[in-house]
Amino acid sequence: MSETCMMVLIVLDLALLGISMVNTGILIVGLQGALLGAFVIAVNAPALSPRLFVIACAGIAIKGFLFPLLLRRTIKEANIQRDMNPFVGASLSLLIGILMLASALWLGAELPLTGVIRAPFTVPASFMTMFTGLFLIIARKKALTQCLGYIVFENGIYAFGVAAVGEIPSLVELGLLLDAFVAVFVMGIAIYRINQEFDHMDADELRSLKG
Amino acid sequence: MDNTHPLLLTCLLCVPAIAAGLAAVTARSLRAAAFITAAGIGGGSALGLAAAVEAGKHGTISALGSWLYVDALSAFNLAVMIIVYIMSTVFAFVYFKEEARAGAFSLKQARQFAALWCGSFTSMTLVLVSNNLGIMWVGIEATTLLTAFLICIHSSRHSLEAMWKYLLICSVGVAFAFMGTLLAAASSRHVAGFDIHQALLWTRLRDHAAMLNPALIKAAFIFLVVGYGTKAGLAPMHNWLPDAHSQAPAPVSALFSGFMLNAALYCIMRYIPIVEAATGHAGWALTLLAALGVFSIGIGAAFIVFQQDIKRLLAYCSVEHIGIIALGLGLGGIGVFAALFHTLNHSLCKSLSFFAAGRLGQRYGTHDIRLLHGATRNSRLWGTALFVSLLALMGVAPFALFMSEFRILKAAVDAHAFVLLALFLCGVSVVFVGMLSKAIPLMWGESTVSVAAPDIHTRLEAGLVVIPLAALLALGCWMPGFLGTALTQASDIIRTGAALPPH
Amino acid sequence: MKHPHVIAVFNYFLALALAPLLTGVVNRVKARFAGRSGPPLFQAYYDIAKLLRKGAVYGAQTSWIFRASAPVILASGMIALLTVPFGGASAPLAFGGDIIVLAYMLGLMRFFTIVAALDTGSSFEGMGASREAFFSALAEPALLLGVAALAVKTGWMSLSSMLPAASPVSFELILVVAAFIIVYLAENARIPIDDPATHLELTMIHEVMILDHSGPDFGCIEFASSLKLWILGAIIVDIAVPYRSGWWFVDCAEGVAGMLVLAAAVGTVESAMARLRLLRVPQLLVAAGALSTIAFLLVVR
Repeated sequence: MSETCMMVLIVLDLALLGISMVNTGILIVGLQGALLGAFVIAVNAPALSPRLFVIACAGIAIKGFLFPLLLRRTIKEANIQRDMNPFVGASLSLLIGILMLASALWLGAELPLTGVIRAPFTVPASFMTMFTGLFLIIARKKALTQCLGYIVFENGIYAFGVAAVGEIPSLVELGLLLDAFVAVFVMGIAIYRINQEFDHMDADELRSLKG
Repeated sequence: MDNTHPLLLTCLLCVPAIAAGLAAVTARSLRAAAFITAAGIGGGSALGLAAAVEAGKHGTISALGSWLYVDALSAFNLAVMIIVYIMSTVFAFVYFKEEARAGAFSLKQARQFAALWCGSFTSMTLVLVSNNLGIMWVGIEATTLLTAFLICIHSSRHSLEAMWKYLLICSVGVAFAFMGTLLAAASSRHVAGFDIHQALLWTRLRDHAAMLNPALIKAAFIFLVVGYGTKAGLAPMHNWLPDAHSQAPAPVSALFSGFMLNAALYCIMRYIPIVEAATGHAGWALTLLAALGVFSIGIGAAFIVFQQDIKRLLAYCSVEHIGIIALGLGLGGIGVFAALFHTLNHSLCKSLSFFAAGRLGQRYGTHDIRLLHGATRNSRLWGTALFVSLLALMGVAPFALFMSEFRILKAAVDAHAFVLLALFLCGVSVVFVGMLSKAIPLMWGESTVSVAAPDIHTRLEAGLVVIPLAALLALGCWMPGFLGTALTQASDIIRTGAALPPH
Repeated sequence: MKHPHVIAVFNYFLALALAPLLTGVVNRVKARFAGRSGPPLFQAYYDIAKLLRKGAVYGAQTSWIFRASAPVILASGMIALLTVPFGGASAPLAFGGDIIVLAYMLGLMRFFTIVAALDTGSSFEGMGASREAFFSALAEPALLLGVAALAVKTGWMSLSSMLPAASPVSFELILVVAAFIIVYLAENARIPIDDPATHLELTMIHEVMILDHSGPDFGCIEFASSLKLWILGAIIVDIAVPYRSGWWFVDCAEGVAGMLVLAAAVGTVESAMARLRLLRVPQLLVAAGALSTIAFLLVVR
């Protein structure tokens, strides 16, 4: 079950690379968040404590519902264009995504984590998600998509954490969720203010400070 | 020897947070916002100094089941933080009073500033006093988020651009650091008696450091150095630094360079003894840190030479000094002592220079160095302050920065790291020449911009200039006993993980 | 299974007989969705019979290539059909690596369609030819990598052994089937890649290439198109439908039912979706290739 979760995560990553509309991207990122909550439950299934269950549900609620809500509100308020207009086109992004998957699989075989990781396919999947997040930040023009890339990057790290470390004390877990939430919230406000001042959302255009 | 002071430590965290909330919601005038900020920062500082003194007396203090923990290293950094905050808060009053007089500082901006300022105090304190590495990470991330909007208090195209770059680069960097934290926790899983609730505690990792999985802890350290190094301004992850420092208002820039970069370095310092013990004291972590340090010195030196904006110049100077501190940490031995001493000196001096740059910017209306020629003649106090602080930053004797850099030189010689020594000297020389060529016209150049406003300054401003300069001169000539002890104990923690008991 | 060779030959002739029925099912489903009663199910048979009775007209600019293309297309289709297993039984022509024969026979079919289209000298047909060449170049890796994934997973190199053994449901299998469905739609020129019912030449890909064929030639090409529907559909149905009972009659019926369901599904998709913008079609095909590649990487690790 947890292996399937990780494989679906990889497919969602590739989907993110291939799409061209911001709204679809937000939907996929929400799905990823909900999937990670399910993954927490799947990994801990033999010994599921109520505390973990609550944390998993909180994760699903925040990452699966709240983040997309925040981002959609930002789009509406800032009146952003729907088309992503990326630097690197969808087909090329997909091909690069395949390369990233191959390198993530290689890394997964290289790192000495076999005794530590509880769900065996997690290392390649989480590295793939991290690479996807970084790629989205670098190769996309719109500030909102860079924010999506950040969320995807955090998702990858979180997936790794769930499998490698397992139960983190609740307070730390909640602190992490809260941090992620506030980060997305702050980025939303930042995007709104940028849009007010600049009339566009292309982070590519933000290059007047040099040297 | 542990002593629990739950009330002290929790109040330390809560008081500024409450002040932040109050400032955001109830401040009805600029004066009220200033008052609430003063109360919050003042209260927090008093409590922080009390905590540091207690830690000095007892060795360590802890609270909340040792989730909060103050030892000599935390206490030292806490003291530095409080000094920087007090100075910057007083300067903020002066700076924004001038802006308010010119009608450029609204109540909304004042509230935002007060709330974020007090909030960042809380988050930085959280970083320093938490024993739980996960909570320490949460504190650093909170620092990024809270200080982001301090950069664009005055909305403009450039400040928004700087804010977005800062937010994105530092958030991604800190996320890398989280991956490192997870790997560090994972490396301790096979240790007997592993209790997940204790796995992220620094004290526990330190106690079991020799038994950690070396490959995992090495991977963790790489992620941590890249991650926290982004926040600290180590090259090549320093890209956000010049933009953020040049676009933020002067008190905020002073805070960034004065303490925020140190906070990120503090996080790296916490991991050094663990990694060193886990890799058998082979010096792997130290080499990595020293290499990055020398690289930062080089980058800082290269970019200083052609800067035209005074605040960007100071920002690259920060990159260079953070590189020097990292180099000191990486050399080990007396280098660690010198690096910690350097953090104190750099914070004092850099804050002062940003204060001066800010006030001169207000007076002249520009930050362009070419237009600031002859500033010492037109504004005697702040022009002189800028000139002298630039001299101190270059490493001119007898200021304290010269002493700490000299000690790092000695540490390099002791460790036979001659390549690093040569690169260090090269970098510092380039900085010396570059900055001197810009500092001399400040004093003796022909002023091209005429300023109509009279050159009056309050005693408060004079105090802001004289006290740090005097402290730097004093520290350069003589190391007070208590400071020496504090530095020795703190450097012991970095080198071996535990301070020797105070005698 | 007793008498495998007899069953294989029987399946082959069954395929030849039933292939045009699939076209009829697709059109009937589309008509029903549109609220019409639609053409009879066996309309394709009537059309082919009618075309065989007519005479062919050849353009003055065409050469022997054009005249030769229709029989070659039909012949390569029939040879390709020889390698496809059906109903859990082996194909008449089964050996390790027979997927290459299948792929290349389909490729030969495509090649002669393209060359005949270019031979007519019409710009519409040339445009269709270039599109067809591009899209099938993108769809080919998806098909081959998917089959490679199946080969590694089941350990067999022949289609006849590989496809029946691929029954336990796993994530990689779902990815492969998804990729194959996209390839199926692409190769048979169905929505969302191409609209077979359009009359606007500028929007056509496959239909425009066969504009100039007439009479028996056109009949051959229509029959070959139905064969292609059957061949690629049989691959999907063989993976998706588990043949558990040992009786060839039951398995065969299951297979036919599966083919009809697949045809109905194609009809549904055609009625529910619009054709993709031409710019997006390569992205869809690269996505299919990506799905196959993921499945392959997952199987190989």
